[in-house]
Amino acid sequence: MRILKNSNFDFMSKKPLALGLSGFIVFAGLISLLANGGPKLSIDFKGGTFVAVQYTEEINVENVRSKMSNINIDGQNFDFSKEEVKHFGNKNAVSIRVPHIENSPSNFAQKIAVHLFKSFPNKAPDDMNEFVLSKGKISPKIGSELSGKAVMAIFSALALILLYISIRFEFKFALGAIAALTHDILITLGMFSLLSYEISLPIIAAFLTIVGYSLNDTIVIFDRIRENLKSSKNQAYSLVVNSSINESLSRTVITSLTTFVVVFILWVFGGEVIHNFAFAMIIGVIVGTYSSIYIASTLVIYLHEKSIN
Amino acid sequence: MQNKLTPRFLLIGLVLVWGLWSLWPTIKLQTLSENEKNLLSEQGDLESLESRAIKQGLDLKGGMYIALEVDIPTLIENIAINKDRKLTSVFESIRQEILISPETDFFNAFSNLINDKEVKLSRYYYDYGSSSDDIITALKTEAEDAIDRVLEILQNRIDQFGVAEPTIQKQGTQRIIVELAGVQNSERARALLESTALLEFYLVKDITTTNDFMIKVDQILKKDNSISSITKDADPPKNKIDSDSSNDKTVSVSELFGAAESSSENDSAIVNQDMFAERPFSSLLRNLGNSIGVPEKNAFAIRKLINKPEVNDRLASIGANFLFSHKAEEYVLNDGSVENMYTLYLLDDQAELTGGVVEEAKANLGPQGTTSAGQPIVNLSMNSDGARKWAIMTGSNIGRQVAIVLDSKVHMAPNIREKISGGGTLIEGFANIDEAKDIAIVLRAGALPAPVDIIEERVVGPSLGADSVKRGTQSVLIGLAIVLIFILLYYRTAGSIADFALIWNLVLVLAILASLQATLTLPGIAGLILTVGMSIDANVIIFERIREELDKGKTAKAAIDGGYNRALTTIVDANMTTLIAALVLWQFGTGPIRGFATVLFWGILISMFTAIFVTRTIFNAFVNRKGFKKLNI
Repeated sequence: MRILKNSNFDFMSKKPLALGLSGFIVFAGLISLLANGGPKLSIDFKGGTFVAVQYTEEINVENVRSKMSNINIDGQNFDFSKEEVKHFGNKNAVSIRVPHIENSPSNFAQKIAVHLFKSFPNKAPDDMNEFVLSKGKISPKIGSELSGKAVMAIFSALALILLYISIRFEFKFALGAIAALTHDILITLGMFSLLSYEISLPIIAAFLTIVGYSLNDTIVIFDRIRENLKSSKNQAYSLVVNSSINESLSRTVITSLTTFVVVFILWVFGGEVIHNFAFAMIIGVIVGTYSSIYIASTLVIYLHEKSIN
Repeated sequence: MQNKLTPRFLLIGLVLVWGLWSLWPTIKLQTLSENEKNLLSEQGDLESLESRAIKQGLDLKGGMYIALEVDIPTLIENIAINKDRKLTSVFESIRQEILISPETDFFNAFSNLINDKEVKLSRYYYDYGSSSDDIITALKTEAEDAIDRVLEILQNRIDQFGVAEPTIQKQGTQRIIVELAGVQNSERARALLESTALLEFYLVKDITTTNDFMIKVDQILKKDNSISSITKDADPPKNKIDSDSSNDKTVSVSELFGAAESSSENDSAIVNQDMFAERPFSSLLRNLGNSIGVPEKNAFAIRKLINKPEVNDRLASIGANFLFSHKAEEYVLNDGSVENMYTLYLLDDQAELTGGVVEEAKANLGPQGTTSAGQPIVNLSMNSDGARKWAIMTGSNIGRQVAIVLDSKVHMAPNIREKISGGGTLIEGFANIDEAKDIAIVLRAGALPAPVDIIEERVVGPSLGADSVKRGTQSVLIGLAIVLIFILLYYRTAGSIADFALIWNLVLVLAILASLQATLTLPGIAGLILTVGMSIDANVIIFERIREELDKGKTAKAAIDGGYNRALTTIVDANMTTLIAALVLWQFGTGPIRGFATVLFWGILISMFTAIFVTRTIFNAFVNRKGFKKLNI
């Protein structure tokens, strides 16, 4: 079986369309990010309290919300009806996230869980330990440290990769790869913002995996370009790039397809905890494959032509 | 040719044997039934088996992760001698500073402040040196020691609590990370860790003093205009204090101790708001006969009131302190309604005795014939020094109440009926025998040198963990099956070799995880799936190259050689960048993220071995065998 044998698509002729599309999506994402005042950070970064509980039968989110409007914990009254209340994985489970409150009562998460337990006595299981799926508290101190570390991680990864590609290829290739990565991350961030998904700790891991994946794809094409440049010195630069993309196209398609299938299955079957991680990866695989051709390679051609003139 | 391949096969065979040997404990553990596990556990073999198997992370097994931070300011404040207003204010402003910018280093802030305010440290810490610099260096050492002691004490408590495979480690200079996998009752474990276990014995102020003091507090607070806001203005949407005013019955100061019983009926009819203006403090309280009740709903307001500086000053002037009982109890009011109330105690501010004298603590049920019959109690025995002090104290205070205080909460306040010699005493007031057992554990392990704050806490319930394992494994298997079938269909014979290498890759990654004693987390499973992708990619790159070479009309052998050689640089360059991302993640990540990075890192390295070295060896053997005609790719 073989697909795409000896393909000869003229990728570079679609360049204006592709760049226009990229520009549009990145722009839409940036507008959304600006309108929302930056990415929607989860309590991993802001600090706060979360509780996820499982009832024995289906539960209505709005009913839960109405029960959250007046909670008395240790003599303090709280109104959480405006906070995030949603189903967690299935219709029987709900999760609640509350931002950090200064001087909140000790063991806050457990007390919220107890309140949820008592609010629907008919639907609660016998054992409190079975009721609580997960819970926790993150202080803003930890959150701000993590944000710092996450930013450090992304930037140091980019710097190291820039260095590696500059050594192994040429500096313009490194710029092309970094441009493609930035493009991928911006689109994924923008999509998360448009869908109002939260950026949590696992999502940062997903971002770095996207970085790795997109680079992997870009480098396979770059490698072909490097090889073809040696053997065909007389051909136009953009033609060499285009034929290199074509020669590696069947590999690009097969690998992207298998990776896509794998992360898609993770997205569908992987369960609540890993759901958004897989979603970020799905976007990353699609955008990463595309950007190797249209962002990375296009920029390399542009930089080359500019250096000649 | 056969000779040339032999060492390669030998190497592959050795790695395979090592991989299976490393994975053996994991496989065995997975296939054991509960009964067999119990049997092994009795023989003491289970532990060694578990230690060699892949550990499941908290997100898969269920369990709790807690990051504790040792409260250094309080530690340093507590060891000061001759504490006064000036020193207290230094600590107050440092706490404010840390609250605003959490990255502040305590000792820097401390040395800056004492220079600014010209505080002579040697007044408070003469044991630690004479110059301020010396003292601060010594205090730093003291703080480091304190963390180590906290670590040791927590370790001790957890060991006695009995959790399989606890991890307790120091992080940085003032944090301790505790991971308890598979812990069933996270609440008990949490209480055990959080408790400072500071046991103190205080004398309770007598009724007249308390009564007079309540009147004074009312008078002070009446002058304070900000007070009315405690019930009225302090109504921000999120954080309001509910004094539940309109139908509440209230008591006057005099009624609190039954001094003016005749007027009590009228008093209680007074609408709370009016009374509140008149007696802002005592109107929030209830008379419980011999003690003061704080309705649960008013507890927060009362805490706020007694923490006001003017009240604190007044407390200091009579050498007293307010403390709450450790839990709220149900009381039946005059009109028959039931209310949950804490008890408020006015105590001496100097402890008569502290938990340091405790030699042994045991949880029990109260003996028959006593007031605590059948109730969970903790029996304490003291060392000789403690027993002597205890005897003197009880002997000279017969008739008074002594409060037994654990972590600033009053557990009980019995009347001293006679001199207690021998140093035995008991604590009651526990919800159940488990709580009594846990308190006994913390008392035996000793008090922490400084309080600890829980700054991060993540608990995964066992059912979510089990669900995650099921779904994670399922998606890995489905994804793997689809990829294997696709590769087999697409590349036929060559595909079967690649599939073989892929399964190999997974086995080896798991074997490495087992021998590194690494923990497999849910993101780790995701990493495993990505490894599958990377490994397949390497083979796809190679096979496409071989196909190209074959298209050029080369023989199978030459095509394989050419394909592998040309694909090699591509694969190495492409994998190196992912390897960089994995290393950065590992450096940056905590817990689950680190698990992901570990799997990705080893996955990539091994995929280079399996996808390049192993498949090539098989290809060569395949092409070299007798009767080979055509490469099916």
